[in-house]
Amino acid sequence: MALVEARQLTKVFRRPDKPPGLAGALRHLATRRYVEKVAVDHVDLSIEAGEAVAYVGPNGAGKSTTVKLLSGILQPTSGEVRIGGLVPQDDRMAVAHRIGVLFGQRTQLWWDLPVADSLAVLRDLYGVDEGTYRKRLKRFDEVLGLDDLMAVTGRKLSLGQRMRADLAAALVHGPEVVYLDEPTIGLDLSVKDRVREFFRELRDEGTTVMLTSHDLADIEGFCRRLVIIDEGRIVFDGDLEAVKDEFARDRILHVHTETRVDPDRVRAVLPGAVVAAGESPLWHSIRFDRFAITAGQAVAAVTGIAAVVDFRIDEPGIEDVIRRVYSGELRLAAETDAETDSEPDVEGSGEPDAVVTAP
Amino acid sequence: MVRLYFRFLGLHLRALLEYQSDFWVMAAATVLIQVVNLVFLSAVFARIPTLRGWSFWAVVAMFALMAIAEGVGSFFFEGTWRLSESINQGSLDYALVRPYPVVLQVTSAEIGINGLTNIITGGAMLATALAHLDVRWSVGLVLLAVVLPVCAVMIKVSVNLATNSISFWLAGPSPLFAMAVHQVGELARYPLSIFPTALKATLGLVVPFAFITTFPLGFLLGTGSSPWLGLLTPLVAAYCVALALVAFSRGLRRYESAGN
Repeated sequence: MALVEARQLTKVFRRPDKPPGLAGALRHLATRRYVEKVAVDHVDLSIEAGEAVAYVGPNGAGKSTTVKLLSGILQPTSGEVRIGGLVPQDDRMAVAHRIGVLFGQRTQLWWDLPVADSLAVLRDLYGVDEGTYRKRLKRFDEVLGLDDLMAVTGRKLSLGQRMRADLAAALVHGPEVVYLDEPTIGLDLSVKDRVREFFRELRDEGTTVMLTSHDLADIEGFCRRLVIIDEGRIVFDGDLEAVKDEFARDRILHVHTETRVDPDRVRAVLPGAVVAAGESPLWHSIRFDRFAITAGQAVAAVTGIAAVVDFRIDEPGIEDVIRRVYSGELRLAAETDAETDSEPDVEGSGEPDAVVTAP
Repeated sequence: MVRLYFRFLGLHLRALLEYQSDFWVMAAATVLIQVVNLVFLSAVFARIPTLRGWSFWAVVAMFALMAIAEGVGSFFFEGTWRLSESINQGSLDYALVRPYPVVLQVTSAEIGINGLTNIITGGAMLATALAHLDVRWSVGLVLLAVVLPVCAVMIKVSVNLATNSISFWLAGPSPLFAMAVHQVGELARYPLSIFPTALKATLGLVVPFAFITTFPLGFLLGTGSSPWLGLLTPLVAAYCVALALVAFSRGLRRYESAGN
């Protein structure tokens, strides 16, 4: 059994259906109406010990709700969660020692206390011995620069400082499983880099990490497994690289030629490629499927028509793929075996806007 | 667990003591309230010898017991009153993932410094009253005199917790229902026998504040229609605690956090 297991996990919220304004509020008093919102819809998820998983989706997709269900904060409407075989909602105390949770939008530090005191309270709460505690603080300091913050009161921390201190607070008891919910939200770039470096260290030490984010730069270079959620449902669960191979197969060659080039001639030698005018008459953008045409072939094709002065190749990142999933352009099959490293088939690949289904 | 509880409380006490002038104003205010109560009582008793069989000092003892119960409630368990706010804002999330009972994290989330002065003035009033009252002290009675205030505290704190837990069902940002019940509790500082039947039933059965004052003192002094009821006090206290904990944990299962 996996360390974290969710089976048919569902959460339905009942929200009062209040028309806007005071009149609406009064009307709600007289006739109470509620709307049901399915925030998490029959989610199956299993995370093995030591695995790093990115859990992504647009705002309101159900990411945070899933994390709250997995950590025992919310009671599932149906389905169940097990962490190391225990149900977090029922075995709260036992599970608490094994999990660490960070909500990027909320602090667990005490508002009136210096960071050092907040961490010391957590140390006592989790019963961490002094030696281990010091060792952990030292490590947090190395990556997060924690020592500078120790004397600062919770309320006086900037957002970036707060997040660094909160990361330490979430990990002070050395949890096996860590949920990081939007841990880089609102941070400036330099802090983001530091925090991301810290995630990688955490992963390398064998901690099981589930990272929720809508900033895709958090994910690349961090984990191999990608789970995409949309409208409460898992729309993809598989290997990050495989997704890129499968759905981010288009490359764009931007080429600068000495003389003008007739786009039709390029199209003739590069079947399936989409040729468009570039930023100046001498520039063209050629979009091609990297499994059908190699970059070399594309450059050679243009060289055969006119002398090439300069070129560059754009490779779409995971952002593009996910953006297309969000906008409904792509339909990814929610199959757990989608992560097989099978060679993607070349057929029917030229049309990027087509509805694509993973094997 | 208890040590940690005081550690949590200590955190707030420290923050609170930073506003020292505030502390003394609050302390003075609570003492003043008790003094006003006593002046009022002695004015009443200047006209009547007893209140349905209860002497001046017996009623002072009732006031004292209620002050102690409220004092302990606000000094040690003031966080209870912030529960509705926490539910409304979804700020219980972290409490739910820590290895410490959620209910104790909630009750220790605040410290009411006026509780301390209530405990002290209440204690002084109780001691003075008991010295003036005609109690035939025996070992059993002394033991009971210690147990009964403890029960009084348990009842008051549990009712606070139970009524505040209703916020899990009613999503409002302030504990209006709990405050209303607390106000009703003020009436229980007087002997139950002066009230009409409906109020007697309310304070004796529904929200058993009479077990903080009338019944235990009735047993101690042999006053009132059925002094033996006072012996039920520990049972009532245990029942209230159990009920409050059940209400809280049932409510917690309804906790919905807040969207980001």
